[in-house]
Amino acid sequence: MKTRAIITIIFLGLGLIIAAVPQNTTHPYKLTADELLEESYSHQQYYSPDEVADLLVNKDPSIQLIDLRSPNEYDKFHLPGAINIPLQDILSDEWRDYIDQDVKINIFYSNGSLYANKAWMITRQLGFENNYVLEGGLNYWVETIMNPLPPASTSPDEELAKYDFRKGANMALGGQAAVTQTDDEGTPTQKPEIKRKPKKQRVQGGC
Amino acid sequence: MAPLVTYEVISQNTNLFLAFIIGIGFGWVLESSGFSSSRKLAGVFYGYDAVVLKVFFTAAVTAMIGLLFFSLFGWINLDLVYINPTYLTSAILGGVIMGLGFIMGGFCPGTSFCAASIGKIDAMVFMIGLFLGIFIFAEGYPVWEGIYKANFLGTPKLSESLGLSDGILAFLIIVAAAIMFWIAEWAEKKFPQPEY
Amino acid sequence: MEKEKSPKAKKYLNPYIGGVLLGIVLLAANFVSGRGLGASGAMKSVVVTTVQAVAPKHVENTKFYNEYEEGHSSHPMKSWLVFQVLGVLVGGFLSGTFAGRLKLKVEHSPRITSRRRLIFALLGGILFGFGSQLGRGCTSGSALSGMAVLSLGGFITMAAIFGTAYAFAYFLRKNWIQ
Repeated sequence: MKTRAIITIIFLGLGLIIAAVPQNTTHPYKLTADELLEESYSHQQYYSPDEVADLLVNKDPSIQLIDLRSPNEYDKFHLPGAINIPLQDILSDEWRDYIDQDVKINIFYSNGSLYANKAWMITRQLGFENNYVLEGGLNYWVETIMNPLPPASTSPDEELAKYDFRKGANMALGGQAAVTQTDDEGTPTQKPEIKRKPKKQRVQGGC
Repeated sequence: MAPLVTYEVISQNTNLFLAFIIGIGFGWVLESSGFSSSRKLAGVFYGYDAVVLKVFFTAAVTAMIGLLFFSLFGWINLDLVYINPTYLTSAILGGVIMGLGFIMGGFCPGTSFCAASIGKIDAMVFMIGLFLGIFIFAEGYPVWEGIYKANFLGTPKLSESLGLSDGILAFLIIVAAAIMFWIAEWAEKKFPQPEY
Repeated sequence: MEKEKSPKAKKYLNPYIGGVLLGIVLLAANFVSGRGLGASGAMKSVVVTTVQAVAPKHVENTKFYNEYEEGHSSHPMKSWLVFQVLGVLVGGFLSGTFAGRLKLKVEHSPRITSRRRLIFALLGGILFGFGSQLGRGCTSGSALSGMAVLSLGGFITMAAIFGTAYAFAYFLRKNWIQ
């Protein structure tokens, strides 16, 4: 009985303190410049076009492509399922729920990878998780997925499989005119092993 | 900054060693609180002994408050702490099956390990049951895979679903726990059991 | 209230103190490894290991084990939860030794036989094992650890476990109360 009273009072007191501090100070976590440098140096923010194509073809619901270019450019061409958040709007309240969340994997892209890297740095520095960069941007995407160069016939099997996958992925994603959002069926018959880079993320828990 | 293993403060092997140490603490506390007795555990469902409720909620509240304060002081990055994903259907259905198992078997997995370690034969039999139950789940997996993966909601926190801050929700949980403790002690007096 | 209890029960830790200590252990687990406590996951490792040893062919053809292996790169027994549960066995044994509670016995209500108790323990274990897989965690892994990190799923599972147990308590009262 006595212990219950003491425990109750202590916890109610601590509870009041924690309830009184504003929510955002209970999330004070930001990366230091050193940590940010280390992360960007290790290239762990990148998703390669092959990885993204694989996720798109499989209609993986966990990815969200974010086009950082101007609405004008976005209207002309964008990747299937991408939403448009021009770089200058990246911190606006309107998009906050998209950028700072822990359900989806956001993949930033622009024509090259400059904008995407900027956006990644800004959001990462704020401590946001789950934002990544499409390696090489749209230019590299066009090169690899939309117009893959056939490898020489003497290439190792891996290269050939990669080429087949890219061709297949391009078809599945709507061919050369990848603007359309309609989902043409057609999964590549053979695809290369997509290797996941180790990313700093939650450990697997559970029981 | 914690979690230590995620920030590579400690190695994977140290992590496993610390898991063992943490386990010793876990087992020690369970045993010394009386969780090695199924009759004491089942008491909570008949009102005569609410030790489960008291230990369970005090522990949850302690850890919850601890994590929030650690986060406030910048000692731990809560974004990297594992949060169980919520699959609505299987969380409810699994919970119902576990509840039935609890009242029939008198243990939950953790307490059965602890009770078996001090020689309770019923706990060892319960562990055999656990093994069989998991085996059945594994073998028949395609049958219940649909249910297992239905209604995935991501990894939401209760505070987010209710639109409260973590701190305010924590406070409300503490109030709820205090009320439950009060009711539990009243019930213990009201439904006493002779010697068990 | 303390006086009403038998001298044996007196040896147990005060439940609130026990709760705070358990909370500290749980906090330590989160601090060190970014995860909560667990139990049934270790049993799953034992099941997977056993089936692998007995029927390796079967493992290759069964979806559950394939999905398990996809999610786990190292040997199933070299997992955090297995080490933690080994610790539970040691910790429980030590505590029981010091408190003089070490005894091989079947604990049951005087109104039922040992045999009945064991049958119900087995059935309860089967249900709990099954439910813990379906619900992705047991009382410690999902409900307790989940509540500490305010996981929605943790609260739902906790409510479902305790709610069901209360709902069925009446029908099984013969097993527990006089």
